[in-house]
Amino acid sequence: MTSNRPSGFANPWLQLALSVLCVVASELLLKRGATQVADLNSALSWTGINGLTSALVWWAILLVIISFASWLYVLKYIPLTIAFPLSRVVDVLVPISCWIFLGEVISVRRWCGIALVIIGLALVAKPVARLEEKL
Amino acid sequence: MTVLALVLILFALVTFVAGQIFLKHAMESTTQTAFPKSSVAIQLGAGILLMTVSFFITLGLLQRFDLSYLYPFQGLSVVIISVIAALVLKEKLSWRLMIGALLITAGVVLVSIS
Repeated sequence: MTSNRPSGFANPWLQLALSVLCVVASELLLKRGATQVADLNSALSWTGINGLTSALVWWAILLVIISFASWLYVLKYIPLTIAFPLSRVVDVLVPISCWIFLGEVISVRRWCGIALVIIGLALVAKPVARLEEKL
Repeated sequence: MTVLALVLILFALVTFVAGQIFLKHAMESTTQTAFPKSSVAIQLGAGILLMTVSFFITLGLLQRFDLSYLYPFQGLSVVIISVIAALVLKEKLSWRLMIGALLITAGVVLVSIS
């Protein structure tokens, strides 16, 4: 391991985790906020712009900005072919959070899909250990 | 699921993928000692613009469909981004990474059709 790899809070892998958690929280806030102010009869509502009248949507936007900043930092150090698939751990965390916090239903088939994503993530994550040694 | 909704979902996907590629290319340039600041700024701007378009389209879709149904469409972006990063950004794409990306996408698609 060379000395030029940032450590502590600047560690790109920690920033990737921070980015992912902010995305999960923001998605839940967006769904709740957007639904609260939904006016499905308005033609303009397809643009989503009326979502901005919800305070929850603005909290979500704040989280999106934080996750975006840490994601840009991640892109400096980690190849996209590794960082992006790993960031899809949100595809596991979001449905499970929907189930826990929003009361949405997860079918058996959906749980199988979530399991497939986890296997895929494990395949992508395995070479990361070797990449770390090289960095 | 109307045709309009499908078109909007695909449009959000394409703008998202293009945005990521621009951002990665811009941020990678900043690790070099002497990088062209104006071209990095333009690429970052293009990336942010594309992601913003994708964001608002998604917000409109969220008002009509369950999050756990809509969101997984972005799973398709895993395979698309991995392939385009290998082609455009010349990143190494091993079989292991490709199979991992395909499994993630398969899982996400399975989630979305449930």
